[in-house]
Amino acid sequence: MNDREQNMAETLVSIFEKVLVAEEKSLQKGYFSNLSLAEMHTLDAIGPYESRTMTETAQILGITVGTLTVSVDRLVKKGFVERRRDEEDRRVVRISLTRDGKLAARMHGKFHKVLAKHILEPYTEDEQELLLGLVHEVDDYLNTQVARYDNKDNIRQTAKDVAKDVRRRKNDD
Amino acid sequence: MTDADSPRERMEDKKDQVYEDLLNMITEEFGLSPTDVNPELDIREDLQFDSLQLYSFIINVEEAYDIRIADELIDQVHTMNDLVDMVYDIINKS
Repeated sequence: MNDREQNMAETLVSIFEKVLVAEEKSLQKGYFSNLSLAEMHTLDAIGPYESRTMTETAQILGITVGTLTVSVDRLVKKGFVERRRDEEDRRVVRISLTRDGKLAARMHGKFHKVLAKHILEPYTEDEQELLLGLVHEVDDYLNTQVARYDNKDNIRQTAKDVAKDVRRRKNDD
Repeated sequence: MTDADSPRERMEDKKDQVYEDLLNMITEEFGLSPTDVNPELDIREDLQFDSLQLYSFIINVEEAYDIRIADELIDQVHTMNDLVDMVYDIINKS
């Protein structure tokens, strides 16, 4: 690994960790200190306006319905989420945000927007476009890598295949 | 058609109604007297709304009018007049 690759690897991990830490701290010190970051992301996935089914919400979060049920139970107790039966299909449970849930989700959304605003602020419009383009490319690449793991039982084998691909591409360059 | 029935007059009436509605909501939520609020009042500076209070109020407005107010629009609101214009525009578009 050359210096640039090392630098990129470390910076990627650092950005990921710091965004999480900043989010956690803003929650702990903010108005919604009784919400964990995972719970806040569950509120985000449900969304402030429409109700969602448990299955839809679990898919958005990339977790099982069983895991989501535990989280939603807690959020109902804390007063951020409400459950009701679907009017047309009584077997389906729909979840939506209470007023407090909406308020928490919107305040948290604001945190992300302020963060993005401050990151972009020092740059000219052209530089901002360039930076956004590069960040999107990194995101697209990571999406393709994540997709390779989906629906694969053998994660170790998939990881080996990914590594092999990367080596092959490097040799081609 | 009399002047009072002209489209412009009706639009103005409707805007006045939005102002009245928002005035009632704002005074009720924050325990203010209607005389504390005027069209040029800066909501953040003069009323010292923090972001939680502002969002709480915005959610009330969304529920009352059954509309959605994007964060980007909220950032542009400073005075009561801005707020009335924003809500009025959204109602007319929906």
